[in-house]
Amino acid sequence: MTDLLTAASRGSRAIRPSGGGSGAFRLLTPAALYYAVFFAIPMLCLFVLSFWRAQGFDLIVDFSLDNYWKIAQSPVYHVLLLRTVVIGFITALIVVPLAFALSYVLHFVLARRGQIVLQLVLLSLFSGYLVRIYAWRTILGKQGLLNSTLMWLGVIDSPLEFLIYSNFATVITLTGLLLPLAVLPIYSSMANISRDHLEVARDLGSRRAHLVRTILVPMALPGIRTASAFAFLLAAGDFVTPSLVGGTQGIMIGNVIADQFRGIGSNWPLGGAIAFVTMALVLVVYFAAMRLIRWVTTW
Amino acid sequence: MNESVRSLLDSKFHQKFSRRRFLQGAAGLATLTVIGAPSRGEAAALGGQLNYFGWDGENGANVAKDFLAKNNIQMQSSFQVSGDEALTRFNTGGRGTLDILTPNKDFQRTILQAGTELFQPLDMARIPNAADLFPAFKQAPWLIKDGKTYGVPLIWGDEPCVYNPKKWDGVPAKYTDFADPKYKGEIVFMDDPFGNTWLFAKSIGVADPSRLTAAQLQQTMEAMLKVKPNIVTIGASFADMADVMVRGDASIGVCGWAYQTLIAKEKGVELKVASPADDGTYYWQDAYAIALDAPHADNAYAFIDFMSSAQSNAAIATELGSGCTNAKAFDLLDPVMQGLYPYDVVRKADGGILNTQIVFPPQQTEGDIVGTQAWIEAWQAFKAA
Repeated sequence: MTDLLTAASRGSRAIRPSGGGSGAFRLLTPAALYYAVFFAIPMLCLFVLSFWRAQGFDLIVDFSLDNYWKIAQSPVYHVLLLRTVVIGFITALIVVPLAFALSYVLHFVLARRGQIVLQLVLLSLFSGYLVRIYAWRTILGKQGLLNSTLMWLGVIDSPLEFLIYSNFATVITLTGLLLPLAVLPIYSSMANISRDHLEVARDLGSRRAHLVRTILVPMALPGIRTASAFAFLLAAGDFVTPSLVGGTQGIMIGNVIADQFRGIGSNWPLGGAIAFVTMALVLVVYFAAMRLIRWVTTW
Repeated sequence: MNESVRSLLDSKFHQKFSRRRFLQGAAGLATLTVIGAPSRGEAAALGGQLNYFGWDGENGANVAKDFLAKNNIQMQSSFQVSGDEALTRFNTGGRGTLDILTPNKDFQRTILQAGTELFQPLDMARIPNAADLFPAFKQAPWLIKDGKTYGVPLIWGDEPCVYNPKKWDGVPAKYTDFADPKYKGEIVFMDDPFGNTWLFAKSIGVADPSRLTAAQLQQTMEAMLKVKPNIVTIGASFADMADVMVRGDASIGVCGWAYQTLIAKEKGVELKVASPADDGTYYWQDAYAIALDAPHADNAYAFIDFMSSAQSNAAIATELGSGCTNAKAFDLLDPVMQGLYPYDVVRKADGGILNTQIVFPPQQTEGDIVGTQAWIEAWQAFKAA
């Protein structure tokens, strides 16, 4: 064991930045290069493109705010942007507390057995994304599992039609899809909180709600922040789920962006402009929500 | 086609054909043997890769399986979700990697007319089986530019309504009749801005539904919006639309495809096809084309020629519930399959109704006539409403 610790210690020293900042810089270089090549540069190109014009199948180099002006004037885009943010926000509001509660149970209640349950939760990620959406169709459909069961039990006489092809179905399906992703960061943050913290707080008279607000949430905040980002940003950016289970109200801004990059009716500059407006709006909402969480936990 | 013929078709069609084999890609067909069918165009040395980007099913996974194996060709297939996606793929890194494309006629016509780079002119001497095409497809105007041919028609058909006969006896006379409240919660649309707009424009009486003024487009959308309360969902693809009907979440599909009856049959659900008597439907055709700068052109030519033979064409048409394009293939079809589509229209030269009936709007605004972008935006507004 001593040998192992010694080896680990050597290994640790081996990767420790010897020259302070320059070592860290070297370690960051591969990831930074990756993001520069595969994220920053493409995004910059798309941003430049958003000021161009489409004419037939040709792109006309220009510097025009027409695309942004069109978005500002179009009620369709306003409706879809609002719907996208609302769906993303509601999904995050459901997913993050559920993930928080599940992480709490896994870490503090189930303890070691929690690891097994966590692996089971993560197993769902191994099934395909589309497969999971269609599975929700099977559950929520008119003749689906839920309606059939409720009718068999005599709770309802006819299928509950709002269960499928509705915004309700979109939120429920997205919640099912995103919950495993949201559990990971919160569970990881909670793993750093020992039972002693909670015991001390209780001994000092902290009640459950106060304990959650002043101890658990602040200490798990990095994980909550990441989980919120996963839930909100992925839900707001999704357009496959709403188109498959959202019904006639299913279209979100992502669908419109995709349409602008697809084939004969495409308008890449307009698509780029919509994408950047969406990104800006989503980021504003996200950072506002983060500030709100911080304010609540420090209040 | 009358209802009794369609009923007979459904029973015969499915009796003759194994869906499982179609869907899982096992070899052979029950009625047509195409294994090792001779290809008159196999002159060049073949082998290696062949990259396909087109509609699911048109890659001939079953029909060409033995041909590909015999010639040591490995087909890499990717499937498009919209008829014009090949252009996006081509322009976003696909150039130089794509071989076979399967454009529909209006898309190919638009691309060729616009002079947009996507397809390469075909050396028809390397596709001798194309000589047996029906007259309408031999010199089809939508495939030709400056005397050069850019595609070899594979299948054709119409865009009917698909309905559950347990719930409905048929479909109404006009598309606008779907606004009747009795259809509430029963309709699934296809996510197709051009097809739906065209059909409803025709239904409100526009003489040439592919050339709409802004006012006509607005009137068309208003007619569609009256139907919207009855729509359950808008299918993301033909398969998705069929899935909605198979699950019983809707019982009528608008802008559908006869192929959906096959998908449903596999799941034990009977669906039938019909078109509104007054409004009718429109015809489509998919062709094989070779992408510009295709890296495996020899394999592509050999594949197209093989798939254009009478045996292969009859097999793929049967498999996809579509019309055959090879005149000799017609004789190999089951009699009920022969009655599926009005073949007299493709026996006429110069494309017949397939040529005069254009579904896509002009690429750009032409005077009062609005272009594709206006149709797309109107369709998005319809979906968002």
